[in-house]
Amino acid sequence: MKQNQDITRDRELLLGLAKGEDKSLEIIYSENFPVVLRMILQHNGSEDDAKDVFQEAIIVLYEKVQNNDFTLSSRLKTFLYSVCRHLWLKKVQRTYGLYALTPELEEVIPATEELEEHNVKDQEFRIMEGAMSSIGQPCQTILEDYYLHKKSMQEIAEKFGYTNAENAKNQKYKCLMRLKKLFFDQYKTPL
Amino acid sequence: MKEDMILLREIERYLEGEMNESEKTAFEALRHTNPLINKQVEEHQLFLQHLGNYGQRVNLQAKLDQIHHQLDMPTLRKQAQEENQTAKRLTIRRRTITNLAAAACIALVTSLSTIAVIQNVSRNKSTAQYEDVRRVLNNIQRSQNALVNDMNKKSRAPLNPGTYGGTGFAVSGNGYIVTNYHVVAGADSVYVQNNKGEAFKAVSIFEDISSDLAILKIADSTFKSQPLPYSLKPQAVKLGEEVFTIGYPRDEIVYGKGYISAKTGFNGDTTAYQVSIPVNPGNSGAPLLDNKGDVVGIVTGKQTTSDGIAFAVKSAHLKHLLDEMPKDKQLRKEWGHKSMEGMNRIDQIKKLEDFVYMVKVYN
Repeated sequence: MKQNQDITRDRELLLGLAKGEDKSLEIIYSENFPVVLRMILQHNGSEDDAKDVFQEAIIVLYEKVQNNDFTLSSRLKTFLYSVCRHLWLKKVQRTYGLYALTPELEEVIPATEELEEHNVKDQEFRIMEGAMSSIGQPCQTILEDYYLHKKSMQEIAEKFGYTNAENAKNQKYKCLMRLKKLFFDQYKTPL
Repeated sequence: MKEDMILLREIERYLEGEMNESEKTAFEALRHTNPLINKQVEEHQLFLQHLGNYGQRVNLQAKLDQIHHQLDMPTLRKQAQEENQTAKRLTIRRRTITNLAAAACIALVTSLSTIAVIQNVSRNKSTAQYEDVRRVLNNIQRSQNALVNDMNKKSRAPLNPGTYGGTGFAVSGNGYIVTNYHVVAGADSVYVQNNKGEAFKAVSIFEDISSDLAILKIADSTFKSQPLPYSLKPQAVKLGEEVFTIGYPRDEIVYGKGYISAKTGFNGDTTAYQVSIPVNPGNSGAPLLDNKGDVVGIVTGKQTTSDGIAFAVKSAHLKHLLDEMPKDKQLRKEWGHKSMEGMNRIDQIKKLEDFVYMVKVYN
């Protein structure tokens, strides 16, 4: 009974997360982080490792709820824990490839399917991140302001001291073309 | 380059819905006719989607960092460490308990088996430490027929040296000889042979297993009785008193000298002495005599674990035994007719020789 209640609560939280409510995110974060921190510390990780792994797990969760077809079958805590475990395992394997894993970690390699999708998205994100950081300023900020923060060209023109919005727009298109080129150089589309 | 930019601008206007109806239809027509432009549009759509994802994620990351920043890290750290320590302690405790249990099991098994082994050994020990000093002679398997033949030729002593050998000595002038029970135990026939090489057939008439003594009677018409030159000393001898023995550890009579080293025998046996004297297999049943030439004991065995420790049954016990013998078998008591007191050892031995026999046992 209690577990059902917990799952109901977890589902509500996820609904909030899907809507982008900061409150839900905060609750999920603060409730589940200590467990993961403990697990990572137990397996010779640092606090920063715990933070990285946990945030990645939250991102996985976020991507899932964005897809709308995600239904939580276990408790949220269990889901996050197993994802974190898996991520940490991968990380340990990457970092200490030569060393044998501790038997406790080897026992459980959970949540493999959950992460396949995430790996693709993560790949895309890395490419975009790389492209963004290599176009340089002020391009990066202009594009971020326009596409991500949804600022108008007028605001951007004022911010960067362009004489009018049209000039800023031209600049934006130049930047956008460079970014597209950099992105598609690495991102092989089936198109 | 310029054219690309114009196209991009047009695509963007189209996707963002900034075009008016006529422009839109024109552009859609262009998309249909020109697959290159169509591809560009789709690519841009995809790109915008990725860009959107990127933005969302950056946004999310920022939020997460913010939340993380708000967390009370020192408290969490402390908690986690404590919990981990408890967990570790628990696993350690669990491990320790398992190990302890295993160790306890091993200890239990070890101690039990040790006890078993020790009990077994101590049971065997007494027999292992004590060794009869009868002589195992050339162990020739004799057929039943040969044995029967021997028995038929009563008067003739067999040439065969016998299976076992010991020593015996006369306790009366008329052919009673005392030896160890273990020498004659299980014997088919017993012969005694003196130092002149004369063998006489003998029969065991009385046996006392507890004190390991046997009385033989020479059952041979050729035996001539003669008085004994010694007597059985009824009192116990003192500790340290010098004693000597003569016996047949080999085919020749052998003299040995020693002293009483304890008033009790093997494992505290009060009917025997411990004697420090060289004895060998074959000495069993040999007389132990004091300086006066009186019999103080009968050599029975030795301790295997240390050299030079022999045991002899006290003469008092022998005397007691002789008194207890059934009346019809009573021997004539002829003790102390001629004492060998004052004689030197060589003369004593010379006299004694005639009364000490090699006991040959056939079975």
